Amino acid sequence: MESNFVQYVVQDSGILIEAALIFYLARTSKWRGQGAVAFYLSSLVVGQLTRACFLHEYGLTSLRYYYAYWSTDFLLVMSAFGVVCLFFRRACWREEKIWRLIRIFLVFLLVLVAAISGVSLSLNRHDFFTYFLVAFNQKLYFTCLVLNTLLYLMLHRMNSADDQLELLVCGMGIQFAGPAATLALVHLTYGGRFAKWLAYQTIPLCTFGMLLVWAYVIVYVPKTAGGLGRRDPPLRPVPAELSKL
Amino acid sequence: MVTATLVLVLSAALFFFYIQVTCQKILRRQFDREYFQSIVKANRLEFPSLRKSLEEFGMSADYPRLRMMLKCDFLALTYLLKNSANLKQRYSGEERLLILYCRWQFLSLAARHLLKFGEEPATLRLASVLQYFANVVGQRVNTVQFGNWTAADYLFYL
Repeated sequence: MESNFVQYVVQDSGILIEAALIFYLARTSKWRGQGAVAFYLSSLVVGQLTRACFLHEYGLTSLRYYYAYWSTDFLLVMSAFGVVCLFFRRACWREEKIWRLIRIFLVFLLVLVAAISGVSLSLNRHDFFTYFLVAFNQKLYFTCLVLNTLLYLMLHRMNSADDQLELLVCGMGIQFAGPAATLALVHLTYGGRFAKWLAYQTIPLCTFGMLLVWAYVIVYVPKTAGGLGRRDPPLRPVPAELSKL
Repeated sequence: MVTATLVLVLSAALFFFYIQVTCQKILRRQFDREYFQSIVKANRLEFPSLRKSLEEFGMSADYPRLRMMLKCDFLALTYLLKNSANLKQRYSGEERLLILYCRWQFLSLAARHLLKFGEEPATLRLASVLQYFANVVGQRVNTVQFGNWTAADYLFYL
C-alpha cells in the first residue's frame, strides 16, 4: 500500500513537472529551440493522463484499461523514437551528408523492428495487442536506448559544443536504461515479486529523474551561440620569436 | 534467457553511466571566479590540499584519515549549502542529485579500497564535487554584502 502510494506520488509529481515545463517553454517562447523536448513532454502528459482516466473509469483489471495502456505505450515509444531522431538531427545540424546516412539508418531500424515483431504476429494472428504491439514496444524501446548511446558517443566524438543536447541525451538515457534493466530482470525471474516491485518503483522514478535533468537543462543551461557547432580547438601557442614581433 | 541477461547487464551499466555523466556535466559548470578559495580558507577545508597531494604524490596509505577528511568536508559543505545565504533553507534539485552522487562515490571509494583498485580517481571525483559545493556556497555568500565587504571577504579575514 505504502509503495503504491510512493509510486503514485512520484507519477503525479512527474505529470506536474511535465505540465510546468510545457508551460515554461510556452511562456518563455523556447518552443522553437526545444521542439523535440516540448513534443516528448506533450506525449508524456497525453499518455499518462489517458491512462489515469481509463484506470479511474474502468479499473486496473479491465480489458479497456489493458488496451489503453498498450496503445499509449505505443504512442510513448514512437514519441521516444521520434525524439531520438530529432536529437540526431540537432547533432548533425551542419553535417547534411551524415544526416542523410543517419536518416536512412533510422528508417531501416524502425522497419527492421516492425518486421521482427511481425514474425510474432504471424505466429499468433488472433491477438494483435499481445503478440505484436507488446513485442514491438519492447524491441523499439531497447533500440532507442542503443540509439541514444550511439548519439552520446557521436556527440563526444564530434566534440560538440552543444552542452544542452548532451544533457538532454543523458536524461533520455536514464529514462531508457532504468526501465529496460528492471524489465529484463522481471523477464529473467519469470515475473518474480521483488523484480516486479522494483520495476513498478523504477519506471516512474526514472521518468522523474529524466524530467529533473531536462528541467535543469531548460532553465539553467544556456543554448550555445549559433546552436550546434563543434567546440573550437585550443589555439596553438605562438612561438616566442613571433610573439616578440 | 541469454538475451535478457545481456539486456539486463547492458541497461544497468548504461543507467549508472548516464547518471555519472549527468553529474559530471553539472560539475563542469564554469564559475566567473574561484569562489571556493575563500570558503576553504574560512572553514579550513582539506580537500584542495588533499587533491594537490594526490596529484603530486599519488594515493597515500592512510585511507581512514583520507576518508575522514573528505567526510568532514562533505558534512561542512552540505550544512553550508543548506544554511548559508540560502533564504529557502533547502537544497535545490541539482544539489540533491550531487549529494546522492557524492554518497555513491563514498561507497565506491570504500569498495575500491577493499579491492585495492582505482582509489585515486574516486577520491579526485569526490574532491571535484566538494569544490563545486564550495563554489556554490562562495557564490551565494558573495552576493550578500556587509558594507563595502562581501561576506566572503568577511569570512576570509576572520
